[in-house]
Amino acid sequence: MAQISATEQPHMKQIDLTTLNIPQLSTLKQQLDQELNLFQESLASLKIAQSKFQTSNETLQNFDSNCEGKDILVPLTDSMYVPGKLIDTKDVIIDIGTRYYVEKDIPAAKDYFQRKTKFVTEQMEKIQILGLERSKIRDAIVEIVEMKLQQQQS
Amino acid sequence: MGEDLQRKLQAELDNLKSAQKELQKAISTRQQLDGQLNENEIVKKELDLLPADNKVYKSVGPVLIKTELVEAKQNVSKRIDYITKELKRVDDLIVSLEKKQDTHREACQKFQHQYQQAQVKAALHA
Repeated sequence: MAQISATEQPHMKQIDLTTLNIPQLSTLKQQLDQELNLFQESLASLKIAQSKFQTSNETLQNFDSNCEGKDILVPLTDSMYVPGKLIDTKDVIIDIGTRYYVEKDIPAAKDYFQRKTKFVTEQMEKIQILGLERSKIRDAIVEIVEMKLQQQQS
Repeated sequence: MGEDLQRKLQAELDNLKSAQKELQKAISTRQQLDGQLNENEIVKKELDLLPADNKVYKSVGPVLIKTELVEAKQNVSKRIDYITKELKRVDDLIVSLEKKQDTHREACQKFQHQYQQAQVKAALHA
């Protein structure tokens, strides 16, 4: 769950791409390609996180005090279950990360998952914007490299 | 002359490669720490939102152990401090490794250039 900062690093400065030579440009392009790859991977894992939070939230929608005392099957292993009864349907225990779990009542739990879904969605949007920016720069570099190659040939 | 230069170039190339490897390792450590820091900060934010008497559990292996909220907060803060220090250390390491890599790369380019010139010269004399 990486938080993405949209602010530029302080040591970044503007460089006119046309003043760079071809090896420099290709190193830059390689770096950008790596970054874009990383963005794709991050997006994919954020997507998974997002759907997990959404599923949890949807599950809670069907979970209320009517469920008190209902029969359930408790999984002991992937393929073995024991029957049980639901008690204390007011509260659920949520994994908040780094092996900590907190008890929350249903409205607070719903709020938690909604907040998390929103947070993850925002991070995804940030990455998409960053990715778009990077791929624009990448395209520019490719163009300049082609231009320079043509100049060399003529 | 040519052979000597070739050996130097090869040695420099090896140096460059090992420097790149070290840098890669440092970068992946950094990413890992960064992830841990973020996760801890998210947990801290979540713990800060809770009322003081909220039940908190810590998972130790297969069981959940009840902890005091204050204790959990302290633990997470301590971990954030530690990770921040580690990050600083790795950042410094990355800067120095990048410098090392650049020196080796420059040396490589220099030798490569000399080598090419020597070859051109040899071709002219032949």
